[in-house]
Amino acid sequence: MSRTNLTSHVLVPVANEDDARVTAKALEPYSVGHVTVVHVVEKGEGVPDKTPVEQSESLAAESFAAFRETFPDAESRMTYRRDVVEGIVDVADDIDASAIAFHPRESGRIVKLLTGDRTLHLVTSAPLPIIALPHPE
Amino acid sequence: MTTSDEELAKDLGLLAALTIGVGTMIGAGIFVLPGEAAAAAGPAVALSFVIGGGISLFTALSASELGTAMPKAGGSYYYVNHALGPLFGSIAGWGNWIGLAFASAFYTLGFGEYLSTFLPLPALALGPLSLTPFQVGALLAGTAFITVNYVGAKETGNVQIVIVTILVAILTVFSVLGMLQADLTTLRPFFPPETGGATAVLPATGLVFVSFLGFAKITTVAEELRNPGRNLPLAVVGSVVIVTLMYALIMVVLMGVVNWRQLAPEFTTTPVLDVADIAFGTVGLATVGVGLLTFAGLLATASSANASILAASRINFAMGRDKLVSDTLNAVHPSFATPYRSIVLTGALILLFVVLGDIKTLAKAGSVLHLIVYGLLNIALIVMREADVESYQPEFEVPLYPVVPVLGALTSFGLIAFMEPIEIGLSLVFVAGGVVWYVVYARNQTEKRGILNQHIISQSPVDAAVSVATSVQPNGGRYRVMVPVADPEHEKDLITLASAIAKQHGGIVDAIHIVTVPDQTALAGAAAYADELDETSEQLLDAAREDAETFGVPVETHTIISHRSFEEIFDAARSHQASLVVMEWGDELHGSPGRVESAIDDLAMDLPCDFLVLKDRGFDPEHILVPTAGGPDSDLSAAVASDLRAEYGSQLTLLHVADSLADGEAFLESWAHDHDLGDAEFRVETGDVETAIEAAAEECSMVIVGATEEGLLSRLVRGAVVVDIVDDVDCSVLLAERARTRGLVERLFG
Repeated sequence: MSRTNLTSHVLVPVANEDDARVTAKALEPYSVGHVTVVHVVEKGEGVPDKTPVEQSESLAAESFAAFRETFPDAESRMTYRRDVVEGIVDVADDIDASAIAFHPRESGRIVKLLTGDRTLHLVTSAPLPIIALPHPE
Repeated sequence: MTTSDEELAKDLGLLAALTIGVGTMIGAGIFVLPGEAAAAAGPAVALSFVIGGGISLFTALSASELGTAMPKAGGSYYYVNHALGPLFGSIAGWGNWIGLAFASAFYTLGFGEYLSTFLPLPALALGPLSLTPFQVGALLAGTAFITVNYVGAKETGNVQIVIVTILVAILTVFSVLGMLQADLTTLRPFFPPETGGATAVLPATGLVFVSFLGFAKITTVAEELRNPGRNLPLAVVGSVVIVTLMYALIMVVLMGVVNWRQLAPEFTTTPVLDVADIAFGTVGLATVGVGLLTFAGLLATASSANASILAASRINFAMGRDKLVSDTLNAVHPSFATPYRSIVLTGALILLFVVLGDIKTLAKAGSVLHLIVYGLLNIALIVMREADVESYQPEFEVPLYPVVPVLGALTSFGLIAFMEPIEIGLSLVFVAGGVVWYVVYARNQTEKRGILNQHIISQSPVDAAVSVATSVQPNGGRYRVMVPVADPEHEKDLITLASAIAKQHGGIVDAIHIVTVPDQTALAGAAAYADELDETSEQLLDAAREDAETFGVPVETHTIISHRSFEEIFDAARSHQASLVVMEWGDELHGSPGRVESAIDDLAMDLPCDFLVLKDRGFDPEHILVPTAGGPDSDLSAAVASDLRAEYGSQLTLLHVADSLADGEAFLESWAHDHDLGDAEFRVETGDVETAIEAAAEECSMVIVGATEEGLLSRLVRGAVVVDIVDDVDCSVLLAERARTRGLVERLFG
């Protein structure tokens, strides 16, 4: 069995502009191959979204721009999914990513409870390697 | 990914859309209002619901057409702003937003009433305020609804469908059992004399109209609908029809079981539960029935309030997009991904209204504001149709146009007349607030123009597809000289001057013809004589193009139909990104002096680019006089003079009036040097400035003078200030004023 390079093509999920900037800084010190940045718009699937589609799309565009301040050549993907983690994993599958690299956002227990601790969900359920990036200096 | 992103973004099917409408509406009419409604018109209130449904149906049809043509977040507000411009947009935006807050407060109070039937809630006294147990319950519930929206707690996908299905099921069982108990004689007299007989029906319609606020919310999420061309009209119209039938039927049932007098607020706060007690009692399930209906009442009012809070945040977003409110209001929460600020603000308003208002006033004030928005929405549809905008391609069209939107507007505005003065007054406060907001804040922020007052027929040779003014063409760094032409007599001189300057800068000439129509003229009227307009415009602009082309300068031409003329030049200069505007001096041509709006304008107006105003007595640049006292505006006169000299080899004379000849010469020497005009003829005079200029002008063919005084230009053009020089010299005079951004203090005193 041929071995794939763990970082030949990393998929980097970002939530918003600030998160994108911090995540890019966190990834910057490491040598990686191809980088694709992804933003998943949370859909209601049966109920109206929390934010208008137009706003979600501009949020994604701002996030990508912030990420490209550090990685100008990064490709970007945007998808719509009720389950954000599922959306990330699907995109990873679609682009044949070698790993998902993310920067866990600090959040309190209550927020985690309410938003469903996506970090844990991503780490435990993804069928490909997950790289948790330490907070940039 | 197998489906495109576009498809993924659209995840609401017909049933989901339908339940947004039904779920929002059904809460109010059946669970909160029947007591008040019964007291208002007796059994005939069933007719009030049918009439309310009819009025809603017209607007629902119009909203459907607009929604399929413009599936944009914001719904009603967006259409009004888009079609009628930011003034009406501000009214509709504020009206819709505050109307939703009123309605939410009303639903929340209703929730409180149901809550207090089984939960012992205390009455509270907070300083001067005393709160009933209902209000305490409503405050608790309201806080919970706001929190849910703030956190964006995920409802499971089909929760709305499930809720609405349960509601409809409970109400169906209730109706069937009720009908078995109903006695038609209880319904007589149908028009009880105590309430005023048949005349009570329309005022009661005003009261119950709050039960129909909800169908338009579907349009606020139009962009998320699958196959909106089909599903949007079906959901909007369908939800109105469904709830109208249910309301009428249930009212008849309620008043067939219990005499309407016994349903009135002085006897009971929750008449539905009283009727349920009897209806379910016959099958030995009185407690179950009351429990079911209480559950349904809570569910229904909660879902109405929730949907309204969400819809309000959509309106905030749309207003922010059009810069009618600060976009910071629409910031998205980093963890919850919700527009949390908008939700908190709307939530605060709701809680405030809960504390201050009673159910009836909240319901009717909410209705008045929505009726204003609905009336404007119908007018917006007419404007969009008549303006014949190319991009307006609704997949669904209202039947019997223009009957439906005209009736929609008339009935919406007409119903307002049946409200109490206090409710109308309360709403008008917010309408006036919207107008003030527009004048003070929004008009300086928004770049959006209504189709109505900004209908551009583009004749651009470069891009023939440009149809509305919002299509700002970036000037790509080119020097763009905009020329508003109005009068065939002077068109040639203006274009010649503009072309000469544009040529020196490798720029482009943009000839515009502004056609003013009175405010009273709807675009329908303007469009009717569009052919006539086209002809005049075409002649003027064709001439302009020919004249500019003789200089080999690229030229664009535009016709703008507007309600304003002088102000429109400023707007066009801004949106066309002009570097310089060359316009004609004329008392009649570019404005109506002395109008009140002009004064307001002058306070708010920045000069968006450099302006040259030509008092045309024949264009002859042979010998140019440039009087100067320094300052930014004289910089512009110097630049123009130097352009003209380069083009025509003009002879230049610089004039400075000083206290002493030596001072004057020193000043002129250095000024000329700074402006590369060292080789011009110098003329220094002492004494009266005007006399000196007039004397010097006798030898010259043209005078270029800086408008030295800030704000002078706009007042000059309006004819508010008369400058003697312009009238006293015999040659053409060119007034120059630099672009400026004036601070508030300068605006007031400058």
